[in-house]
Amino acid sequence: MTKAHPIAAIALTALFASVPLLITPAGAEQFSERTKQVGSKIKCMCRGCDMPAATCSHPGGAFSGPCETAKMMLGEVDQHVAKGETDEQILQAFAQQYGSLVYADPPKSGFSLVAWVLPSVYLFVGAGVVILVIVRWRKRPAHEIGPTGGSAGISAELLERARAQASRETQD
Amino acid sequence: MDVFGSFALVLAFICAVYAFGGGIAAIITRHPLLVKSTRQAGMAACCLIFLATFSLEYLFFSDNFSIAYVVAHSNRDLASFYKIAALWAGQEGSLLFWSFLLAIYVFSVLVTYRNKNGELMPYVGVVMAGVQIFFLTLNNFVASPFKLLASPGADGALHYVARADGNGLTPLLQYPEMVIHPPNLYSGYTGFTIPFAFALGALLARYPGEKWIHLTRKWTMIAWMFQSMGILLGAHWAYAVLGWGGYWGWDPVENASFLPWLTGTAFLHSVMMQEKRGMMKVWNVWLVFITFLLCILGTFLTRSGVVSSVHAFAQSSIGTWFVCFISLVILVCFAAYVKNRDYLKSENQLDSIVSRESSFLFNNLLLLVFTVAVLTGTLFPVFSEWITGNRISVGAPFFNKVTIPVGLLLLFLTGVGPLLAWRKTSTESLKRNFGWPMAIGLVAGIVALVFGFRQFYSWVALILCVFVASTVLLEFFRGAKVIRSRSGASLVASAVDLTMRNTRRYGGYIVHMGMVFVFIGLAGAAFNRDTQKDMRQGDTLRIGAYTLVLQGFETKPEKNYTAQRLLVEVLQDNKPTMMLYPEKRKFSTTEENGTMVAIRSTLQEDLYVVFAGMSPDTQLPVVHAYLNPLVKWLWFGGVVVVFGTLVAMLPNRRAVLVLSGVQSAVVQPVTQGLPSSVTLREGHD
Repeated sequence: MTKAHPIAAIALTALFASVPLLITPAGAEQFSERTKQVGSKIKCMCRGCDMPAATCSHPGGAFSGPCETAKMMLGEVDQHVAKGETDEQILQAFAQQYGSLVYADPPKSGFSLVAWVLPSVYLFVGAGVVILVIVRWRKRPAHEIGPTGGSAGISAELLERARAQASRETQD
Repeated sequence: MDVFGSFALVLAFICAVYAFGGGIAAIITRHPLLVKSTRQAGMAACCLIFLATFSLEYLFFSDNFSIAYVVAHSNRDLASFYKIAALWAGQEGSLLFWSFLLAIYVFSVLVTYRNKNGELMPYVGVVMAGVQIFFLTLNNFVASPFKLLASPGADGALHYVARADGNGLTPLLQYPEMVIHPPNLYSGYTGFTIPFAFALGALLARYPGEKWIHLTRKWTMIAWMFQSMGILLGAHWAYAVLGWGGYWGWDPVENASFLPWLTGTAFLHSVMMQEKRGMMKVWNVWLVFITFLLCILGTFLTRSGVVSSVHAFAQSSIGTWFVCFISLVILVCFAAYVKNRDYLKSENQLDSIVSRESSFLFNNLLLLVFTVAVLTGTLFPVFSEWITGNRISVGAPFFNKVTIPVGLLLLFLTGVGPLLAWRKTSTESLKRNFGWPMAIGLVAGIVALVFGFRQFYSWVALILCVFVASTVLLEFFRGAKVIRSRSGASLVASAVDLTMRNTRRYGGYIVHMGMVFVFIGLAGAAFNRDTQKDMRQGDTLRIGAYTLVLQGFETKPEKNYTAQRLLVEVLQDNKPTMMLYPEKRKFSTTEENGTMVAIRSTLQEDLYVVFAGMSPDTQLPVVHAYLNPLVKWLWFGGVVVVFGTLVAMLPNRRAVLVLSGVQSAVVQPVTQGLPSSVTLREGHD
């Protein structure tokens, strides 16, 4: 470690540590957090904006949202909240009224669960494949590795000839 | 001019068919005249597409309202600037625009390699012509932009007519960024055709992998850069025009543009494995195939309307053609791979798990998981409808939950990967390279906690951003320090010198730094807030440190629309700061509405003010104000990413040229004195 490193480190620390100071803490908002939270889980059913009811801004509309439909839906959410219903009960009520299309996100049950599970499956299967590849690459004996080894399909000579041909026939 | 355009397109189709068929014959017979004539036919097809495109633009500029496409997307009062954009406002024009941009690439490739790579180019030419034939088929026979306007007469038969004026351009497109966003994005989509053509061509020609990579590196980077710019410009357009306070809604068409960018990014990384170590040849070929297929899929999603989107102005029933083309491409790629896969054998083994090779494998894994997760979410409504009969929506919260952890892991690898050595990294090297950046990142995290930072993902993103930025800056610092000690130049000049000696490596670092800025911008979204109020003149609205005072309301008739404008005074900490003028526009021809958001943007936060319209309840103007922290970092990051990509495309400057006048005896110690992680050699890191 050279002398200049601590100075650079202190300067960098000061620079980056100041980043959080740029962010002011969240303050009061117009709608209750609960209504916005539930409203963000259901879609505005005006069929014109395809946005969550809580954040409907209805691009292209005469009024940049929430549109009348979104406001009505948020009003309904308020009524359900006033009755002391859980988020799940409120979402169920909307699903009965509008069908499964009302969910902004797939519910974590039934066929919709597949959407939630698949990304994790991709990650684990992919990680498994990568680990397998690494293990195979590490264990691979030198004589199996091209260009000298060739493969089941073509001989090493043929592969080498193809490489020479590619070099001959192309220029960078 | 409409006849001229149609005729040019038909001729272009014929030339492309000849380039394709003649190209196959040239590959079989190796007849030099046939090779030359097919290349020239390919170039002629491109020139004819240029002519057809210019003739359509001429029809727009000459207000020729006998053409159905011009009537649908233009009017006399439309500004000239937007008459250019009207070209891609609808399906027919945007498909012609696809052909136009593809023709630019194809023409450039054919001219660049006209006297080079004589054996490979017929294969490449055939693939490129094949793609052109598909789009020219659409341009000529499925969605011609030169159709005359027809109307049923009294006798019931169709008669060609001309209208006095057109319908005008969709208001959402009447914004300066819409003149540059689609060309950028389309240049990205079309640009990936070139590495695809070389990869498939080289595989068909039985080249053992590496040559096509060298030949297409710059073409791939150009396409990737345009795709990056297109995505960010689209995000900025959504931010400034849609008036919802955000820039990325995980809309299917946004996702469609993001997917090839992700696989293209994976390719730009994994390609180094092949260049340096002769590994991952099969994977690289398939990554390019997949990237090209995702580009076609993106165009299909945008055009077909198979998934609902804010880009609904472009929908139609052209999907079947795309499905057939995608299927055909998959079939050809698979057949070529099965036939010639033996030529793609890896040349090396992995020496250690803690190595650059492993980091690239995990980088590719994460990018691919990201891609398939976004693809799954995008197409899940369609699949759910097919399987269950119920269409199930997948919205932004799903994508955020699924992609944020993967994105953060990728950010972590952005810092780790470049500092790991090829083959094997020693413990000593790990300590030297990661000790300080990790310490700095953790200190920043603790400081953030002390100052009340309580959003988990944003907090992690902050630590990782600091970590990655530190690793990048330390890399520049270490290399520049060595050069400075030998040359006596300033640290900045030495850093520039260092960059120019290995543009690919240090350009890549600049791109990584840009991504750090992008992540800082994204992390700020966790702290967004907003408020809305019906306001009378003189009323105030508070948000954060700002007080908005409604000073007035005015109606301003313009040539193509009428603007209703609010005059909003902004006070920061009760001191007058500036005036903002959010607008609502009513377009005369279409009776549609548009929003012009007023934004006060600083590095700390954006004050984003929307005139939402007149309240249906009170008939008062409604002001919707958002406070969006750190958004400017996102756009700045985009600029840095583009700059870094341009640097990475520059040729390396040799050390001996830099130290002109100083003999080679001096050059040698420069290289010797560098830390192990810094290399000044020509080549690709």
